[in-house]
Amino acid sequence: MKLISKTILYYLLISLPLVMLAGFFSYNIIRYELREGTDESLIREMEQAERLIKTFKVPHNIMLSTDSLSDIAVINNYHADKFFFTETRMFDKAEEEYVTYRVLKCYTNINNTTYLITILKTTLEEDELLEGLFSGLGLMIGFLVFAFFIVNWLLAKLLWKPFYVTLDHLNTYEIAHHKPHAFSAAKTKEFDQLNKSLNKMTQKAFNDFKQQKEFTENASHEMQTPLAIVQANLELLMQSSHLKEEEMNQLQAIENTIKKLGSLNKALLLLSKIDNNQFKESEKINLVDVINKALNNYQDLIQAKNITLDVYFNNDLFLVVNPALAYILITNLLQNAIRHNHEGGKISINLMIDTLTISNSGEALTINENDLFVRFKKNDSSKESLGLGLSIVKSITALYNFKIEYKYIHHLHTFIVKF
Amino acid sequence: MKILLIEDEPELRKSIKQYLYQEGYLVESAEDFVKASDKCADYEYDCILVDITLPKGNGLDIVKKLKQNQSKAGIIIISAKNSSDDKIAGLDLGADDYLAKPFNLAELNSRIKALLRRRNFDGNKSIIINEITIIPEERSVTVNQEPVNLTAKEYDLLLFFVSNKNRVVSKNSIAEHLWGDDSDQMDNHDFIYVHLRNLRKKLMDKGCTDYVKTIYGIGYNFKVNP
Repeated sequence: MKLISKTILYYLLISLPLVMLAGFFSYNIIRYELREGTDESLIREMEQAERLIKTFKVPHNIMLSTDSLSDIAVINNYHADKFFFTETRMFDKAEEEYVTYRVLKCYTNINNTTYLITILKTTLEEDELLEGLFSGLGLMIGFLVFAFFIVNWLLAKLLWKPFYVTLDHLNTYEIAHHKPHAFSAAKTKEFDQLNKSLNKMTQKAFNDFKQQKEFTENASHEMQTPLAIVQANLELLMQSSHLKEEEMNQLQAIENTIKKLGSLNKALLLLSKIDNNQFKESEKINLVDVINKALNNYQDLIQAKNITLDVYFNNDLFLVVNPALAYILITNLLQNAIRHNHEGGKISINLMIDTLTISNSGEALTINENDLFVRFKKNDSSKESLGLGLSIVKSITALYNFKIEYKYIHHLHTFIVKF
Repeated sequence: MKILLIEDEPELRKSIKQYLYQEGYLVESAEDFVKASDKCADYEYDCILVDITLPKGNGLDIVKKLKQNQSKAGIIIISAKNSSDDKIAGLDLGADDYLAKPFNLAELNSRIKALLRRRNFDGNKSIIINEITIIPEERSVTVNQEPVNLTAKEYDLLLFFVSNKNRVVSKNSIAEHLWGDDSDQMDNHDFIYVHLRNLRKKLMDKGCTDYVKTIYGIGYNFKVNP
């Protein structure tokens, strides 16, 4: 739910009972005041009737006023002086409906005669007034609510504008493309504070991110020299003429491990360099040349596994990229297609307009295909794999905004790169 | 042949020195920028191996100074930073080659030999091992004066063996020499055997002795009796 809808809903929820309560009270107050008025005029008419009786001593009907019905009667029984109000309903011919009347009954003793004065006054006016008052009030409330919506909407547009700008900014924020003070100053104090805090926070996150990246790079660099020392000593040891076969095999195992460690280190370093955007120099290259070079260098591997290679270039594809990265992108995909292939399998490479498709036969995936590009996630069957090849592919495609996706089509693992 | 090794890591310095000494080079070493600069100024070397990250300075500055002084020494940069920027900077300054750590000593050795061969224009242009003659400039090989038709990989393999003759070279170092960084991606190096078998066959067809000895699982030794 949007902030504005929510605000209005809450306002409505709070104002509805308030309006009802206010309506209830004002109805009663107004009704009370109107009744008071009616009663006062009834009393006035009663006093006038008494005066008339005293003056004329005639106990007959007297028209007291135009809007009331009255009756003066002589009572045989004695009643002390008193008056009281009641209400009665009668059919009004003019209005064609039952109408409530306010009735004043008064016993009064004048010259030893007891009179009963009855005065009726219609409350029609009172009711109509109340009705009118309430429809007026209702209209006003309706208008106020409408005005409230409009004002709120305008305010939201106006007041909350910097907030929505900040929100948009935050939605598209990427730590890798961090710029300091990306959240600009706002005129509203709270939003200004928000933006300042966001600037501070993203800056801190970026610094941590940078440190983290530098750490990977530095750690990899620091490992190169010790690896070089082990490698060098191992090679010297290999030259010894006194080694037995068993010891040679052990040396071989050590060398393979160092080699793997070195490759892992290089791959990590490469990844952090891509992510740190350290491959700045670009040039125009033809992807077809890159693929041919890679195929040339990997033909031994392809032949060793008796893999049938099917290559089709529909067209040349020129890209302005770092040539080393372009080569790494292709060789990683190619290596992946060779490694996860079976003996006598097939690889097909297809370049069509701006889309490169590399597909290979091989065992079905044992990992979720969404994890394919995640670092160190690898299929069970590939113990030799470092688990970084496809992460590197992903990083390179991300760097140049190429699209890569994996599909399993006709029992072939297929990687599709859209340049 | 005199080589100056500029490397701050004592263990690595020792190993490289020992390996190159066995190759018959005269190896001197320097462990920091100042000592290296002094030695470069005072003596002539045929080849200088220089690490980029050094105590008290940058190895690239040594390369710069050597070039300013029109030194005739061949320069190979050995660096832990396998960054193309450093590589380009080093080669732009006039270094002859660049080797990233960790490297194989056999690879370093073959790079030094190749460099010295290229530098030594007036000298012998061919490498002669008994009946085998290699002319690196033409990438051609003859056995008993008969040309042998080798593929690029077979030729590189032979040259690598010859550069490291009478030494055990591992399959890993061969793979790295022949396939460069791509060898990182290769799961096993069994296919080296295919190239080796072809090379052996082509040489022996011309009546060449089989110099390549298999050393158990680890690699090969191109054994030439001195």
